[in-house]
Amino acid sequence: MRSKPLILLLLAALVLGLAAPMAVAQDTQTLTVSIWGFNLDVLEENVFAPFEEMHNVDIVLDTGNNSDRLARLQAEGENTTIDVVHFATQFTHLASEAGLLQPYNPDLLENLDEVYDWAQDPLGNQAGAGYTVNSLSLIYRADQIEAGISSWADLLRDDVAGYVSIPEMSTTFGPAALIMIDRALAMADMEEGEAEINYDADLAWEALPQLADNLVTTYIRSSELTTLVQEEEVWVAPYASFAIGNLMNTGHDLSTVVPEEGVVGQTNMISITAATDKVDLAHAYIDWFISHDVQEAEALDLIDSPVNATVELPEDICALLTCGEMLDTMIVLDQAEVSDRLADWLERWNEVMVR
Amino acid sequence: MIRRPNQNRSIIVLVAPAFIFVLVFFVLPLIFLLSQSVLPGDGGFTLTGYADFFESRVSRIVYLRTLKIGLIVTGISVLMSYPAAFLLARMPARRRSFLMLLVILPLMTNAVARTFAWLIILGKRGMINQTLMSLGLVETPVRFMYTETAIVLGLTQLFLPLMVLPLVSAMENIPDDVLEAARSLGANRLTTFVRIVVPLSSDGLVLGATLVFTGSVTAFVTPAILGGSRLLMMSTLLRQKSVAIFDQQAAAVIAVVMILTTLAVNLLLRVGRVRQV
Repeated sequence: MRSKPLILLLLAALVLGLAAPMAVAQDTQTLTVSIWGFNLDVLEENVFAPFEEMHNVDIVLDTGNNSDRLARLQAEGENTTIDVVHFATQFTHLASEAGLLQPYNPDLLENLDEVYDWAQDPLGNQAGAGYTVNSLSLIYRADQIEAGISSWADLLRDDVAGYVSIPEMSTTFGPAALIMIDRALAMADMEEGEAEINYDADLAWEALPQLADNLVTTYIRSSELTTLVQEEEVWVAPYASFAIGNLMNTGHDLSTVVPEEGVVGQTNMISITAATDKVDLAHAYIDWFISHDVQEAEALDLIDSPVNATVELPEDICALLTCGEMLDTMIVLDQAEVSDRLADWLERWNEVMVR
Repeated sequence: MIRRPNQNRSIIVLVAPAFIFVLVFFVLPLIFLLSQSVLPGDGGFTLTGYADFFESRVSRIVYLRTLKIGLIVTGISVLMSYPAAFLLARMPARRRSFLMLLVILPLMTNAVARTFAWLIILGKRGMINQTLMSLGLVETPVRFMYTETAIVLGLTQLFLPLMVLPLVSAMENIPDDVLEAARSLGANRLTTFVRIVVPLSSDGLVLGATLVFTGSVTAFVTPAILGGSRLLMMSTLLRQKSVAIFDQQAAAVIAVVMILTTLAVNLLLRVGRVRQV
């Protein structure tokens, strides 16, 4: 029959057509990265696409917020397909405590020496490397608060009563705000010098009822703070550096201030999961992320403040990020100390707030 | 009535998809939730999670606040829905369908957008404050946002349709003859409403009140935005336990307490209805 060779030819083409991509797929391995779902288009250009090309790898993204992704990692355990994970420091600490991460090998990270000391190993157990830093500082309405704001303790002042908001205790920066208020109250009692960080924050807990009276409400997300400022409910608040653009877009006369007691720095980290067998590739990914080129590109796009000390930024860019002189006053908290207290603090916090 | 074997098979086939869906996506997760609240990770049955919950002053305050707000919203919804439902049930069909569409409008709006709209009304620069200030009634803006009042307003707006719809449905089944008979026997409009309409629509009342109460005590977005994170309710407390400190047992306890509370309220309403009728 004449049609038989034609059918065979079509079958052969079909088999070849199916087999060809499979052959390519077998050569290209994948790296599954767990990360927040923000700015992915910029990250694709600055980080993912060049890395895929350099290492002949396909990056697969698993996106979500810290807690959702940590819960998923916990639920999947050894069966997880995630190879590297981006977390805020406190969630890296929780994942590390749960045995979900493996320590990185500093010998496999060529660019690690270029990274600021406080970001090289934020948890002190090589559970991950810091790749960007956010800071918690103060912002206020210059047209409403004539006396200005210069200290964390100013949140307790009578003239701002009813117009203050602070991050809720359950958020990344909640404990940090309380610790800085504690430091400010301790320094107010000193004639000179700086107070040590007191992780028990006794003075701040004593003052919390007074602070609670000054609060409009607390906020969980930076977007909530933006709305509060927009609607003129709030005149002064601690703010996370990554929210500055949205806050300035509210159109109000806002001033940012580096308080006398300093700002709090919080690194975001990249870690290698305990379950992955792509250890070399995972190290290469971390090394690429902390490299001068990626750090500079991310900073110039106003996505991530750099932790690579070799990156030099124009002043106008630096002013919008956590960098330059701000780093001199920046305090990086010990997340293990904070995390150990969180459950107890949350209960104490609620006790005051439900009054 | 005698059923043929084929008829029984058809019933099983027709019911099976819904039954399997409810079993897999509702009953099994519920059992898992219940077991999580009494079987912590280290094994062994314990009720300490429940004891901890009720021993905590914060939990008790939050629980009572949630109950209070749920009951207030349900009460306001009943008071507002009854007259509206009575009128709607007796309207010509075309006009009724148009007004019913308006009633369910809040349910067709995105929860976040709807709640943020309240900011425009209740905020310091909101409509109410602007009006009060322009009339000279207040000198400085009054705080409406981040209060229990704001939560009650938001939840009432959201769940009012869930009370109106079952009431309209129940009242449509009350024959006009019954109302005319009551009036001809000397009952005025109020007496007719209280002694005839209310008892005969009690099925709709129980269903509506259960839906509104359940919705109010379990709502998350509206209390979170209108009350702020400082004014904790059960749903926002559950979030804290689950997401902030990863205490899944405490979160499961809160979820079970919420479920049992709504079941208890439904039972009370049913008992009350039986006695009334």
